[in-house]
Amino acid sequence: MITFNGVTKRYADGTVAVDNLSLEVPTGEITVFVGPSGCGKTTSLRMINRMIDATEGQILLDGVDVKTIDPPTLRRGIGYVIQQAGLFPHRKIVDNVATVPLLLGWEKKKARDRAMELLERVGLDLKMADRYPFQLSGGQQQRVGVARALAADPPVLLMDEPFSAVDPIVRTSLQEELLRLQAELNKTIVFVTHDIDEAVKLGDRVAVLRVGGHLAQLDDPATLLARPADDFVREFLGRDRGIRRLSFLSAEGVRLRTDLLVPVATEAGAASTSARATGEPWLAVVDAGNRPLGWVAVKDLPESGTLAELEFAPYGTFVSGRDSLRGALDATLLSPSGNAVAVDGEGRAVGVATREALDEALAEVAGGVGGAVRGSGSVSVGGSDGSAEGKGGVGGSAGSVGGSGGPVRGTGSVAGSSGSMGDAGDAGE
Amino acid sequence: MNWLIDFFGDPVNWSGPDGIPARLLEHLEFAGLSLLLAMLIALPLGLLIGHTGRGALLVVSIANAARALPTLGLLVLIVLLMGVGTILPVLIPLVALAVPPILVNTYEGIRGVDPDLRDAAYGMGLRGRQVLGRVLVPVALPLILLGLRLAAIQVVATATVAAYVGLGGLGRFIIDGLATKNFPSTIGGAVLVALLALLVQLGFTLVQRATVSPGVSERQTIR
Repeated sequence: MITFNGVTKRYADGTVAVDNLSLEVPTGEITVFVGPSGCGKTTSLRMINRMIDATEGQILLDGVDVKTIDPPTLRRGIGYVIQQAGLFPHRKIVDNVATVPLLLGWEKKKARDRAMELLERVGLDLKMADRYPFQLSGGQQQRVGVARALAADPPVLLMDEPFSAVDPIVRTSLQEELLRLQAELNKTIVFVTHDIDEAVKLGDRVAVLRVGGHLAQLDDPATLLARPADDFVREFLGRDRGIRRLSFLSAEGVRLRTDLLVPVATEAGAASTSARATGEPWLAVVDAGNRPLGWVAVKDLPESGTLAELEFAPYGTFVSGRDSLRGALDATLLSPSGNAVAVDGEGRAVGVATREALDEALAEVAGGVGGAVRGSGSVSVGGSDGSAEGKGGVGGSAGSVGGSGGPVRGTGSVAGSSGSMGDAGDAGE
Repeated sequence: MNWLIDFFGDPVNWSGPDGIPARLLEHLEFAGLSLLLAMLIALPLGLLIGHTGRGALLVVSIANAARALPTLGLLVLIVLLMGVGTILPVLIPLVALAVPPILVNTYEGIRGVDPDLRDAAYGMGLRGRQVLGRVLVPVALPLILLGLRLAAIQVVATATVAAYVGLGGLGRFIIDGLATKNFPSTIGGAVLVALLALLVQLGFTLVQRATVSPGVSERQTIR
């Protein structure tokens, strides 16, 4: 655990970069420092490994004041990743990664083996090991930077805008890689960024700092999005807070109906009869392995034959127990039925989440926002950026989703969802 | 051309204390000693001020001012003061000539290393001296070698002035040749000096290839 105890950084000219900052960075979690330029986020990070020394207050690393530790010794026990990777251009990739282990006096072979292991772990081709940094792309260099920071297996990792200098596609893959690594390694990570989307995506907890080095709010992403502490945080969070927050809420509690699933071998007549019993206008057809095939409208069911002869309307799925409410909501928008198919980890249908069931879940979410909400305002769901979200469990079988032109018709409004949606745009740099 | 054949073809020119081998050795002695002394002064100083950033303005200003010193004038002055008993009167002006390019290039090379790289090196727990020796010097090596090469070529070319005050070196062929209107000797001496400078250039190219990491030389800018 890292503890900031009334930490202030004041420069000789009187500028205060960080003002009386007190917070805790829990062990094994990612804590993100986010804020606009000049908010002291990088200074705060660099005070942990004493690249900058605090003027007042203490920073404790598992209870030990960092000022009592000789800086190089302290730094060898803390992984450090910076924006431009900062790889040594004159050394091969493998030697770059082995830097800290060698400083710590490891045998050459052991350090090298460890470096190779880490290159593999961060998803780099081992052919890269004997190349020089200039032969790698920016994204690859940044992976090496992460591998180098992890080489001596430090419990703490400091990451200073590590993914800011790469293009958005590479950035997304690096972010996902970091989350994957963190799930295996459980490091205590302090991550600095000016990008609020990156902050809520990566952080277990997010500390929003305002200019002058004041802590504006420290919360988990879902709470941050639901209840910004003040106008500054609200504006910094930007638009679509309500929708974005759904990413952090599990779809597990959504009521599922199994009576809307029909095997593809069913006689059309029988399907028609049972459909009437459900009172629903659409049925989800599944194959013999219980995998979803698509939707049929009850009114289009023929008198005879099996369902196999019909054409199915496109569908969207979400993984029950893993995906977020945002994924489930997204899945409903991808089908003309307005319902989403819940599947298990292997892609087998386990039930149907109807729009009504989802509305119930969303109403509960909105209720959870509680008293902090000002104003009312209903948020129209349909037209938002719902469709292209990375982790949404969309379309188990390839191609079944796209092009379904009509899905955005049902613009259900999320009753009483959070108000005043900060139209100020992204307050980032 | 005939003059060159006259000069290099004459067996007298290849032996004795006035011969080409002896003069070449003297020349190499002046140039080599001066360069060595200049390196001993300029390299540590350049590394120190480049690494710490302290005293940079003062030292670099003095070095640049020293470039304006007329080597021949300095030589004559020192001979007047000290006489010609030793080779010291030749060494001092040549060292003064060689120090500025070595010092300035070393300083600029170290100072010009990408600050991110320096930051990463400290951030990983390297100590100040390790940062200098393991990161800054290897990365700045092309510029440091450039300074050494410029100094070496200048010193090799300028060591001819030793002949003005009666000391040896390849300059004797040029100066004495001029005095006695022996043009084959003058031209031959000039060609020898030029060849030596080319050899120095070649030598540095080989040293550069052997010592600069491919990871640094492949990239044009310093980082």
